[in-house]
Amino acid sequence: MLLDVIELTKTYRGGVRANDGITVQVAAGEVFGLLGPNGAGKTTLVHQVLGQLVPDSGSIRIDGDDVVSKPALARELCSFQPQAAAPVEGLSPRQAIDIVGRIRGGSKEEVRRRGTVLLDALDMSSIADRPVPLSGGMARLTGFCMAAVVPGRLVILDEPTNDVDPLRRRALWQLIQQLANDGAAVLLVTHNVLEAERCVDRLAIIGDGRLLAEGTPASLKSNLGAPLRLECTLEGTETPDLPPWLTLVAANGRRLIAHVQISDVNATMSWATAAQDDRVLAEFALTPASLEDVYAAWIKTEGVAA
Amino acid sequence: MTELVRSVALLLRWNALRLRQITMILLMLQVVLGVGVIYGFAFLVPHITPTVALFFTTGAPSVVLIMLGINIIPQEVAQARTNGRYLYVSALPVPRLAPMLAEVLFWVFVQIPGTIVTLVIAILRFHIHLHVSLLVIPAVILVSLTTAALGYALAASIPPPVTSQLASVLGIAVMLFSPINFPLSRLPHWLQDVHHVLPVTYMADLIRGTLTGQYDTARTTAFAILGAWCVAGLVLSSRAAARRG
Repeated sequence: MLLDVIELTKTYRGGVRANDGITVQVAAGEVFGLLGPNGAGKTTLVHQVLGQLVPDSGSIRIDGDDVVSKPALARELCSFQPQAAAPVEGLSPRQAIDIVGRIRGGSKEEVRRRGTVLLDALDMSSIADRPVPLSGGMARLTGFCMAAVVPGRLVILDEPTNDVDPLRRRALWQLIQQLANDGAAVLLVTHNVLEAERCVDRLAIIGDGRLLAEGTPASLKSNLGAPLRLECTLEGTETPDLPPWLTLVAANGRRLIAHVQISDVNATMSWATAAQDDRVLAEFALTPASLEDVYAAWIKTEGVAA
Repeated sequence: MTELVRSVALLLRWNALRLRQITMILLMLQVVLGVGVIYGFAFLVPHITPTVALFFTTGAPSVVLIMLGINIIPQEVAQARTNGRYLYVSALPVPRLAPMLAEVLFWVFVQIPGTIVTLVIAILRFHIHLHVSLLVIPAVILVSLTTAALGYALAASIPPPVTSQLASVLGIAVMLFSPINFPLSRLPHWLQDVHHVLPVTYMADLIRGTLTGQYDTARTTAFAILGAWCVAGLVLSSRAAARRG
């Protein structure tokens, strides 16, 4: 494994335990998702990998080297997109990408060529040379390009899709996948569970600083116990009585989500169609269970504050 | 060493691009600061003797240089810690001293025109002749680097909201309670003893000595003691930059 995080524990002053015995491993060529609610300890884990925080106990190895005792090596081996927008005020996206690419050891020509490829792929060519205040999404995309222009062996992306419009987000996922295809290990911290499902090879769910679940999207979904989800929009706000074969997952205002077994598909369709005719349901959809269901189930099961 | 030079050059370019739209304003503010010191202090002393004039003339550029570490660098570090730039740069593969040196070089470049203009205005205002030594160049570099390194180490170690208040207090201490624009002997004995340890006196002596050709003994002592402070500042900056939570 390129990244080996073993039994990592970190407690902040004041006694808040942000990471509690977390073990995570990421291989070269793999996109590994780190999912969890706000305050789960994801960013704390990232900053320990980068050598900016020192763990209380546990070990972090990158390509076999202990980076807790060698933080300079961590900075050498990792390229990083922070959770906050990259600090690019006053610079054009191309200038920011050029400077970081050169700092990361790229040649002038190679950095310029690779930067242009990234900017074109993200449809940013028209603003690439303008040192103007960037929108939140553009600043974030620039931050991604700064991390990807001369990628480290480990590329750490903290919420890369926040504020990004849908079309550019699609291109961004392709570029993230490409980083892994080119041999980097990608550690992806995200809230965007549904979109991450298409991109990650494996993932871990973290809550209250603990590792709750870890595996491939398929293996985690198979453990869910229900392969289908029924998503309903109610006509009113009162939750209707559900038939016994439906497992209620979430009811929030007029939105209702329940899990369904394959053997109950016909009965579910009949019940939902009748409820729609009776104007109990405004609309419904029966779809395969997603990573979001896995995520919600784990957070709910563990009683984690989401 | 090559890596340090390369990193400093690239971070210096980052600073220059980041601040290019306000560089002219910053240059002018440095001139205003220097002129303010010259004319403001003159109001405090009704009869300007040649000695007073000499202190004011050589003290003004010293104040401009010392303010680099008292005010400008700490404010920049505090801002960088608040907006995430400090943390971002700390995740890049650059030597620990590189961000500080890049800041210092940029601001010394911004300050040099202001320092020269301040000196010229002081000469015209007080009608005195200086005997500028070539040693003024290493003196300016040493004073800038020392004050900036100490300011960087301080700002990297205290909470950013405190930095601005502390800079104001230190600014007053330097302007009113340090022997820059007046001789050390005018201060109470206990404060003279304090200034025998602190670097401000030696910074002022060094600039004064290299601009006037006087105070040879003080100048040599100042180079030695300030050199020690400079090394201490660089070590403290490096440690502050390498500190991990």
